[in-house]
Amino acid sequence: MARLSYLATAGVSGALFGAGLYVSQMVDPLKVLRFIDFGAIPSGGWDPSLAFVIGPAILVMFIAVQIGKRRQAPVFDTSFHEPQAKTIDARLIGGAALFGIGWGMAGICPGPALSLIAFLPDNLWIFLVAMFAGSFAGSLLGTSGSKTTVTVQ
Amino acid sequence: MESFSPLSAALGGSLIGLAAAVLWLGNGRIAGISGIFGQVLPPAGSTLWRVVFLVALVAGTFVTAQLFPGLAANGVRLVEAPAAWGVPTPIWLAIAGLLTGIGTRIGNGCTSGHGVCGLARLSRRSLVAVVVFFGVAIVTVAVTGVV
Repeated sequence: MARLSYLATAGVSGALFGAGLYVSQMVDPLKVLRFIDFGAIPSGGWDPSLAFVIGPAILVMFIAVQIGKRRQAPVFDTSFHEPQAKTIDARLIGGAALFGIGWGMAGICPGPALSLIAFLPDNLWIFLVAMFAGSFAGSLLGTSGSKTTVTVQ
Repeated sequence: MESFSPLSAALGGSLIGLAAAVLWLGNGRIAGISGIFGQVLPPAGSTLWRVVFLVALVAGTFVTAQLFPGLAANGVRLVEAPAAWGVPTPIWLAIAGLLTGIGTRIGNGCTSGHGVCGLARLSRRSLVAVVVFFGVAIVTVAVTGVV
């Protein structure tokens, strides 16, 4: 059944994503911060490992996007849900800046925040509750591109 | 430099790219984590796939960690607030979480949505977002002295 295949695809994608976050060690906040810590470059204390995560990830996804352009629709839906927003507005820049502060303070971006549940480190729930509260508050303030159309799948 | 690990980083990055590719070619959806969990909250019409994705994400991390425990041999823990700031660690993490949630929502994406998917789609918006959040994060780490 198409519906089941659709959900199974989401499950496979999520599982691969979670595996990738662990294997790359993006799930380790200290590892992330030691990568972001460019100030440690002169002293030799910089860990550049995570620079090697984004390149392969983008390359694989880039190929998928090119394959997608030759198709009318994805396998289990009637159309690609291409983001429509094109303008670079204040919310995009302001939101990214706020996220940058949060990421630099804790070393946890949203994917690892969730996959950290697999380890249940101390204080994780505080970060998660705050992140969800922030996300909800952000949705009231309005999101960049403000296309926020009702997503009908 | 004992922790330099470019091979596992590249392998993990490939898995993340594959995850994004599967969701795009299979369901035509962007694998942006902040967007996926952000849209689980209100009663949107297509919430179930997002819940399935997020549960599988945690399970994928858990199972991989059981299979290859060596990568987290030193344990995985959150940072502590830098002593010089005089802020208790729970408050520090709450502020960081709040900013991460609100920023990714207003800016409509995070490291995965803008960083992986957006750059792969050659989106100018995503490029700007990535430059801003990465630049601000570098400054934040330098200013706070969190590591």
